[in-house]
Amino acid sequence: MLSPSRVLEGAVKDTMLKYIGLRLVQSVFVLFGLSILIFFIARVVPGDPARAMMGYLATQDQLQAVRVEMHLDKSFPVQYYYWLRGLLHGDLGRSAYTKRPVVTDLVQYIPATLELILFATLISVVLGQAMGILAGYFRNSWFDGVSRLVSYLGIATPSFVIAILLMFFFSQVLHLAPSVGRIPIMMTAPPTVTGFMVLDSLLAGQFSTALVALTHLVLPAFSLAVIHIAQEGRITRSSIAENLGKDYITMHRVHGIRTSRIVFKYLLRPSIIPTVTVMGLDFAFLMSNAFLVELVFMWPGFARYALTTMLNKDLNAMVAVVLVIGLTFAVVNLLVDILITFLDPTVRIQRRGG
Amino acid sequence: MRTARFLCVMVAAFALAIGFWCHVSLGAVENVVVVNGQPTITTDPATASDWYDTEAMYNLYSPLVYPTPEGSVRPHLATSWQAVGGDLTHWRFVLRQGVKFHSGYEMTADDVAFSMTRFIAMKSGNSGPLGKVTATVIDKYTVDFVLDKPSALFPETLALFFPVEKALVLANIKTSDKYGDFGDYGEDWLATHDAGTGPYMMTLNVPGTRLDTARFVDYFEGWSNEGWGPDEVPIDRVVFIMEADYTSLMTILKGRQMDLEINGGWTLPQLREIQANKTLDLTSCWAQNVTVYMNTKAVPTDDEHFRKAILYAFDYASVVGPWQAFGNGPTGIITPNMAGYVPIEPQPPVQNLVKAQQELALSKYAKNLKDVKVVYHFCGGLDFEEDVGLQLQADMAKLGVKVEVAGPPWAQFGAECNSAETTPNMTCWLFAPQAFPTHDYYLFSMFAKKGLGWIFESHWYFDDPQIETLLNATRAEADPVKRLAIYTQLQPLIAAHALALYPYQKPTLFAHQSYIAGPKESIPMVGPSENMHNWRINLTLKAQITGQ
Repeated sequence: MLSPSRVLEGAVKDTMLKYIGLRLVQSVFVLFGLSILIFFIARVVPGDPARAMMGYLATQDQLQAVRVEMHLDKSFPVQYYYWLRGLLHGDLGRSAYTKRPVVTDLVQYIPATLELILFATLISVVLGQAMGILAGYFRNSWFDGVSRLVSYLGIATPSFVIAILLMFFFSQVLHLAPSVGRIPIMMTAPPTVTGFMVLDSLLAGQFSTALVALTHLVLPAFSLAVIHIAQEGRITRSSIAENLGKDYITMHRVHGIRTSRIVFKYLLRPSIIPTVTVMGLDFAFLMSNAFLVELVFMWPGFARYALTTMLNKDLNAMVAVVLVIGLTFAVVNLLVDILITFLDPTVRIQRRGG
Repeated sequence: MRTARFLCVMVAAFALAIGFWCHVSLGAVENVVVVNGQPTITTDPATASDWYDTEAMYNLYSPLVYPTPEGSVRPHLATSWQAVGGDLTHWRFVLRQGVKFHSGYEMTADDVAFSMTRFIAMKSGNSGPLGKVTATVIDKYTVDFVLDKPSALFPETLALFFPVEKALVLANIKTSDKYGDFGDYGEDWLATHDAGTGPYMMTLNVPGTRLDTARFVDYFEGWSNEGWGPDEVPIDRVVFIMEADYTSLMTILKGRQMDLEINGGWTLPQLREIQANKTLDLTSCWAQNVTVYMNTKAVPTDDEHFRKAILYAFDYASVVGPWQAFGNGPTGIITPNMAGYVPIEPQPPVQNLVKAQQELALSKYAKNLKDVKVVYHFCGGLDFEEDVGLQLQADMAKLGVKVEVAGPPWAQFGAECNSAETTPNMTCWLFAPQAFPTHDYYLFSMFAKKGLGWIFESHWYFDDPQIETLLNATRAEADPVKRLAIYTQLQPLIAAHALALYPYQKPTLFAHQSYIAGPKESIPMVGPSENMHNWRINLTLKAQITGQ
């Protein structure tokens, strides 16, 4: 016979699976809607995709041939039908800019940006949380004041400005960090397996390359992370400050529980829930907004590819890029929701219909 | 305690990594040149068309004929050519013997004929001006081309035709219904491999990211050191790296992680910094023409006197200002470094408000100047184009004419120029000599009825029969000297209609380490000057400078 706790655990598991299934179905519909929206928007914004594909010096005959090949001479719904048919066969079309299948481009560029923003997220989680916890715990102290100032500066300064400043000081003046690229220009890259330079280097047994690739991540990742450190730090600080005044914390103090235990065991868990939500959105946001930092650090990433294709009215690539960003938002939001369910028992109970 | 230990390990690892990075950046003197010349979009000669592509083509492949500084062509893969019959539709080319592909096989007429058939069938890249061409092998080293329409310029257009190795391409065809039996015609494979005869062989191509090349020792032109300094040796490896923000490029140029920059987008302070740096040099190879077209079909620039008033009112000296020290200066319909350049009105280019007022008084808008407005558009984000507009705004205000300056994004700006009705009064462009023959590009393509149209002809003026006749005559004249004479005759005739304001020419300045020498031959066209066979490296000087 199962114990009540086992029964409860099973019920929670079932509820979670149902919830995840429902969210996945919803995501498919959202992405479908998004694809229609971006497909039509991309076609009505000014610009000639045939020119983008054939170059400025193309003749009218060449342009017309491309329009026919890309079905641009057909109505929008017919064009969408062709695109959707391709998608269902794993074909997102050919990029007018790179002249390669869009899927090939995505496979090349997405891992570079993912590696960068994962590292940036790691930095922002560690530093943002540390700053938020300390500022919240020692609220209205000098540290809280300094962290507030640093946060405002971090939020107000664009990432690319931070990138240029960091490169100037750490690469050009102090020669402490590498300036551009994922590894030094003259270093041989490991064979591509995952597209993550650090991971691929480790898989190839090139430990020194992995280490160097890590150092190359520091400046661009920190440039991207600054704004999120500031933002997430402030949110955590507010939650900590708010929860510190609650009765259950006072109760723990009265019982003589150690401060560190109160902070890390009882205070942090409920306090980081708003931060986790924001962190998820920040991660997806970085997928499309890292382009200036990628430009400064010569980072061959997805955000830069996205911008280039938009500027060149590369129809197939534009739609694919928006879908990837949409998919990232959907996946990350789902993960965040699952994480919050584990962090916050009240959410679990609500989802179970309790 | 555990946390402290973990932190110590992390700090130690980071320090180790930095140390290692410093170590790898201090290797021995290598015969490698890192060039900022990406993003190459495609390295397939049949689809390549962009500026960057052409730069890659001149390194990985060889054209059938080679451009000359005079704007004509000289033998290269072909040693001679002639028109067969008198109607300029049939051309015979005799090929150089002993030219090797990177694979080691000898190039023959079969490869050239196949490459031309492929080039035309794929209807892409620079094949447009050729029309329909049928290639026939006459013997191992002779090939005939039959055109669907007469062309005196056919040999010149082949400066952008780069033969590929037939067997290698055929061996790497992917199944596709795009080109019938030829599948994808090897398009995908050629995007990351080369099948050329050029001075450098592709060793790695990560599209849009980097292109690594190695010197082709058996290059048919050889690697003679004649004309070079005693320590200047051929470059063994050339690595083309991706495009970046110019602040970053400055950092890696000064840090000697990059040896040569060939896109020339430096800002004024950066150029001054490079000029002041003893280990860096600036080299000018070809110039771009800043051109402000005036729409002759829109009010008030439809009036010739009004347009002339603009030419006289513009303060050329102010807008060039400090850029003059870097070669920006007077230009015309073609750039001054091109053969047959003719200075056009107003020359010297100085502001003459009196003459501007006289012209304005002759225009049909003289009595209602307050009611007219000139709309000036430039490509959003290009500061120097905005500067031209703002200068014009200030100058025309002195004459009581309002100028509206706006910089829409490129896609919108380009779309505006699809027709005369939607083109603003004035549109600013930076035309680089990226097509060949360059004279034909700056004249026929930009002023003939059958020119390139769109942004290249956003003046929309095709009403002068004499100009049209002469432009057509340039394409019917097979003698380059006589053709050049027609180009010379055409320039003042076109200028007389005041179709464009030419604020200045903008030389493309290559910044490089002083141990890089070149180019040996400067050709006013994108591509040949960036052919690294035309450059050398001084390893002794590099060792001195880098302290290695």
